[in-house]
Amino acid sequence: MRFFSLLIRNIKETYRDALALGFLLAFPLVFMLLFGFAFGGNGSVSYGVGVVDNDSTDASHTFISDALGAADVLYVNAYSSTDNALEDLRQGNISSYIVIPEGFGEQVAMIWQQIPGNVELDITYDESNLSVSSNVISIINSITRSYLGIEIPITINTNPINIESKITQIDFIAPGIIVFGLLIMIPTAGRIMLRDKETRFLHRMMTTPARPWEFIAGYSLSMAIIAIIQVVLFILLGWLFGMDIVGNIWLAFAIFALTALCSIGIGMIAASLAKSENQGESLSWLFSMPLAMISGVWFSIEFLPSYIRFFADLFPYSHAVSASRAVITRGVGMEAISGDFIFLVVWTVVVFIIGTFLFQRSMRS
Amino acid sequence: MENPLSVRKPDDGFAIQTFDLTRIFGKLVAVDGINLDIKKGELFAFLGPNGAGKTTTISMLCCLLKPSSGTALVMGKDINREPYKVKAAIGISPQDTTLSDHLTPIENLELIGNLHQLPPKIVKQRARELVETMGLEDRAKDQVRKFSGGMKRRLNIAMALINDPQIIILDEPTLGLDPQSRRIVWKYISRLKKNRTILLTTHYLEEADFLADRIGIIDEGKIVALGTALELKTDMIDTHTIIIKAWNLTQKTIMEMKEKYEDVQITDGTMTITDKRVGFKEIVDYLHNAGTVIRSAYIKEPSLDDVFIRITGKKLRE
Ligand SMILES: Nc1ncnc2c1ncn2[C@@H]1O[C@H](COP(=O)(O)OP(=O)(O)O)[C@@H](O)[C@H]1O
Ligand SMILES: [Mg+2]
Repeated sequence: MRFFSLLIRNIKETYRDALALGFLLAFPLVFMLLFGFAFGGNGSVSYGVGVVDNDSTDASHTFISDALGAADVLYVNAYSSTDNALEDLRQGNISSYIVIPEGFGEQVAMIWQQIPGNVELDITYDESNLSVSSNVISIINSITRSYLGIEIPITINTNPINIESKITQIDFIAPGIIVFGLLIMIPTAGRIMLRDKETRFLHRMMTTPARPWEFIAGYSLSMAIIAIIQVVLFILLGWLFGMDIVGNIWLAFAIFALTALCSIGIGMIAASLAKSENQGESLSWLFSMPLAMISGVWFSIEFLPSYIRFFADLFPYSHAVSASRAVITRGVGMEAISGDFIFLVVWTVVVFIIGTFLFQRSMRS
Repeated sequence: MENPLSVRKPDDGFAIQTFDLTRIFGKLVAVDGINLDIKKGELFAFLGPNGAGKTTTISMLCCLLKPSSGTALVMGKDINREPYKVKAAIGISPQDTTLSDHLTPIENLELIGNLHQLPPKIVKQRARELVETMGLEDRAKDQVRKFSGGMKRRLNIAMALINDPQIIILDEPTLGLDPQSRRIVWKYISRLKKNRTILLTTHYLEEADFLADRIGIIDEGKIVALGTALELKTDMIDTHTIIIKAWNLTQKTIMEMKEKYEDVQITDGTMTITDKRVGFKEIVDYLHNAGTVIRSAYIKEPSLDDVFIRITGKKLRE
């Protein structure tokens, strides 16, 4: 098995290379530790709030867009029914949801005309996450009062429900860090290929009857194996910091594996196009760090301008983050993430076809 | 262009035959229609200055580089049609030392052996033998990145031998080695000769002179002379050089000699005379009669350097 010899050699060459190992394992590890300690407590800065508008008048629309929508600490999601909102609350997408009852508009109009009325809002929140919920309720309360310009009467019917799974910050952070670790495989994935090209060791190996596909398989599979070790290590470490995997661990694993393959493919393309190891590695870093920033591996990207999010969404990593987060923290199944999953599969296939083609071309001379 | 094969016929007695082998890089003709037969079992040296096209020729023979035109047969296999069979027959030590840095010498050797798909047992055994022959057994378990230049160079050569190839190609095997290590490598290469075909390139004259059965002098992509070292020297050099050391060379004698012979040089009482028709006895007698006291006088053997200057008009090493 020629390709097996290549695979073993590449793994040896990588794990005996302190620098490569550092970037592969130590670097993301440091991030994991930093974030793990930093978010032992509650570091949330904003709350997702659902709105079910049963009134659907001009008054209710403006209330949603101008009052709730204008508050920095809230990001508002509209739902067509309480069932949908409840489902998202259960999955931890939102911290609570508000139901605007029928007749809201009339009551508001009456109050603004100094006619006594009673404005009512229903808020359903997750009782188990009390610190967040109480914050949200008081925020909504004050927003509503200042918007309507009244002190009373306003009735906020609170409606606590208990949701089993508690989402801690580490649950949120860990999938991001894992994806980050896989993203920065781009520079290291290309590293060994580039070095073999630059030192012409690849050409020496090519003086044997080994076939081009065996080299490519040898390179990408060795990186895939290293990626799997990396993912396992990070999941274990996440556990150590209290991360719960609510969903199917194999589904999470599949998402990470696809992400790793994308990185290897991109690394292969970089290795084919770059002139030297230095050039290839610096370019890969220049590419992957900003991409990591905007892909939501460290913080939620809900607040980034939409054109940046659009750009980030062209790459697999933001999809990997949201899909793996959904599986790990909320236990969603394949149905819920199929879009992201298919995106990852397509990316993997395409990037591998391009990478294989380019690398094979760069092997010929 | 005529069919290159029509000029010479493929022949089983040859290990390597090239037919108008040509490689062009952009506007540069790096290898310019080389036609060459290398016999089985001979040690053939490509001698030429840097940039002559030696490595490019070898790269084509190893199927790393496609010829722009022409072709070659290696152990009867066409480099364009059956590259993998050609590769199986060859072991190469590239000009630049290329090793897998984080592997041990044994692992490096075994990797190449495995890529040749030899039985693992044989690969293991040969790797151990080669490490011993190259005097690396003390460091057999160290990563090669810690090795000295000379050690790496020896391993670089050993890796050409792991598949016990029919043809060994050594591209500048002693490049960058000190004279002492060079001698060691030479000895080892001459021991390798036996029944194998060896093609080596070099820009060291002594190396070609010392090792090669036959030498091809290559310059600007063309074979400009071909033969044994002796043939090249006797065929190519039709002048003779006589060197005379004397006590009391007078200006008058020197002027007379310069008139008589084509090239006369004087340095520190040493007179070097080069001409097509120069008789040793004639010169010695002439000087003697002129009252010159001769300390020593001898005929200088032509060197490959002279051959090279003669053919290309330039020195090999500059
Ligand atoms: N890949 C290449 N691209 C362009 N020019 C090249 C390439 N390889 C070699 N050359 C040129 O071809 C000529 C022959 O080079 P080479 O075969 O390496 O010479 P040698 O081995 O005899 O020193 C040189 O002028 C060199 O610059
Ligand atoms: Mg060369």
